[in-house]
Amino acid sequence: MKCAVGLLLILAAACTMGSLIPQGEAAGYYTQGYPQAAGAILMLGLDDVFHCWWFVALTLFLCVNLLFCNIIHFPSLVRKSRYGFSWERCLKGWDGTALGQTDGEPGKLFAKMGFKKIEKKQTEDGAQVWYGARHKAGIWGPWLCHLGMLTVIAGFGLGQLCQEQYTVYGVPGQTKPVGDTGYELTIDSFDVKLRDDATVEQYTTALTVGMESGGTGAYMSGETSVNRPLSLFGMKFYQNSTGWAAEAEVRKDGEVIQETLLCAGEYAPVEDREGLAVMLNAFYPDYGEDAAGMPRTLSPALRNPAYLYTLYYHDQILGMNVLKNGEKITVDSYEIRFVTPRQYTLIQIKRDPFGWLAAVGGVMVLASLLLAFYIRPEEMWAVRAGDGTWAVSGRSRKSGAMFLESISAACKKMAEEEAGEPAGEERGDGRL
Amino acid sequence: MSGEQFLSVENGLFTAVMVCYLAAMVLYFVFFAMKKENLGKYGSWVITAGFALHTAALVVRGIGAGRLPLTNQYEFATSFAWGICLCFLVFERKYRFRALGTFVTPVIFLIIGYAAMQSREVRELMPALRSNWLAIHVSTAIISYGAFGVSFAVSLMFLMRPSMADKEFWEKHVPGAERLDLISYRAVSLGFLFLSFVIVSGAIWAERAWGSYWSWDPKETWSLVTWIIYALYLHLRLSRGWKGRQAAVFAAVGFVCVLFTYIGVNMLIPSIHSYA
Repeated sequence: MKCAVGLLLILAAACTMGSLIPQGEAAGYYTQGYPQAAGAILMLGLDDVFHCWWFVALTLFLCVNLLFCNIIHFPSLVRKSRYGFSWERCLKGWDGTALGQTDGEPGKLFAKMGFKKIEKKQTEDGAQVWYGARHKAGIWGPWLCHLGMLTVIAGFGLGQLCQEQYTVYGVPGQTKPVGDTGYELTIDSFDVKLRDDATVEQYTTALTVGMESGGTGAYMSGETSVNRPLSLFGMKFYQNSTGWAAEAEVRKDGEVIQETLLCAGEYAPVEDREGLAVMLNAFYPDYGEDAAGMPRTLSPALRNPAYLYTLYYHDQILGMNVLKNGEKITVDSYEIRFVTPRQYTLIQIKRDPFGWLAAVGGVMVLASLLLAFYIRPEEMWAVRAGDGTWAVSGRSRKSGAMFLESISAACKKMAEEEAGEPAGEERGDGRL
Repeated sequence: MSGEQFLSVENGLFTAVMVCYLAAMVLYFVFFAMKKENLGKYGSWVITAGFALHTAALVVRGIGAGRLPLTNQYEFATSFAWGICLCFLVFERKYRFRALGTFVTPVIFLIIGYAAMQSREVRELMPALRSNWLAIHVSTAIISYGAFGVSFAVSLMFLMRPSMADKEFWEKHVPGAERLDLISYRAVSLGFLFLSFVIVSGAIWAERAWGSYWSWDPKETWSLVTWIIYALYLHLRLSRGWKGRQAAVFAAVGFVCVLFTYIGVNMLIPSIHSYA
């Protein structure tokens, strides 16, 4: 127990550090941004807390702890649910103090308190005892919660180890392989639905997936959009992102000799001239400049396109500038233009064989918490005294004081009702 | 009525809500400090009226915006205050102690004050937010945070209890230490259950929207930290019998985590949840 508490505290502290220290940056980022602490950050793996060995080890240790806790407690919980709820046990631990008394048979009182099944017994010395127990399943709440947490962690961990994840981006008409799965993906169409104020309402890609050339099997098509992933061939296709692409058109002596589609951030070598390459750094659909004269786009609409490019020759930068629509770069007898700008779609493809396990764990945790907090095991009993009155008491494992108060209040209310009823009227809902 | 007219009505209602909550806070404070019994009753009426107006304001904003008002800082802050108020009214009626208002109303006023400082502009939803999971995820967060807010107030009462000079007034209006402790526990239980719903529903939604049900985003991470803090509270309570002062301090620390998860993460740490 102490160990689990310590582990949870350390994990909470690690999570806090992981959220405060930027994660996954290059070492230089930390040496510049945190000159005093960079050494410690890099040495302790605080630059990637959630994947570093000690975080994983702590999580595994927590799992072992939860597992052993459940194994240790299982037999006692089985015993408790089998034999823990009994009138003999209640009377054994009862000091005889009554929470209330009733003259008539207490069946009505049991019913009022929500006890449907009542056992009617007799003690060795002949006293009549009525006993009810309910919500016995509540004792399993914490145990099931541990099991649920274990399942979530197992599902997440196995998913991290076994999942396959790929990204494919392109423009309609392009066909690309889906990683090394043997499948290929064709982008049939890509639609960006804009509202009147030019904000984006939805991105939708229609795609077809099938085995790569030479393979066998059917092709399947469908649409994926944000919040509506598409499932095909056991893989999920997510509409992840978008950006701009344009054709880099190379002419020599006025004749088109090369057309290469470049997404922003990509480059293409000029095949006819060794060492010459052009990169499309950024695209501005509605070109404008900010107060400092830096390029920016005024809206997402394609109104005044412009291209930020870099020209390389044997890895040396020849030039970098913004090219408006129709303008060209000239290098000797070569002319380079960017034409036909259009949006590309980025599809994330994922196969997580253990996602279901984490989902089952999540449901188990929720169910267990309902059990633990709202299905409170409660017992109530009434013992008939020598003068014919019934002494009522009860016990609850989780909400003792309030349960006892409610019994007390119910007894009081029933006594008032009985006092108001005509003498001789039959009361209660059961006889021995 | 046009959308803009609805939003203008909501503006007026929001101002009335702030006035009600401020008045309730003052009434409860005077009731508590000056032992004016009637003022406590008035405070209860005023906050109930404030809650009704607040509900109306949220409904009107929802109609004006054409969607659930749960998507930006202002909308979540005002809903957060509404959630605390709802939980307070439920707990006040269930456990019948008016003095709780003295400790809850400042928290409600603080949150509604934060809401008032945010932009009330209605913006169209980005594609990732256009999901039915939004309603489930955020509404459970409101109930969860509301319950934690009440547990915080009850824990403060518990911690202040020994230092109160007027024992007679306390005994009349504030439940005993054991009962306060139990009420705080009940509020934490409710909040914890709903926080778990928040995390699970958020994971399902994230999987659909971003392709990953857990990505250690700061908001997710801080939700987990908050969950761990309250899990420790419940664990220590159930298995080690941690009650009373220790439990009250833990519940108060938990609420500080809730506030950091909601406000601190948005303001201090870049996150894919930065709209909420």
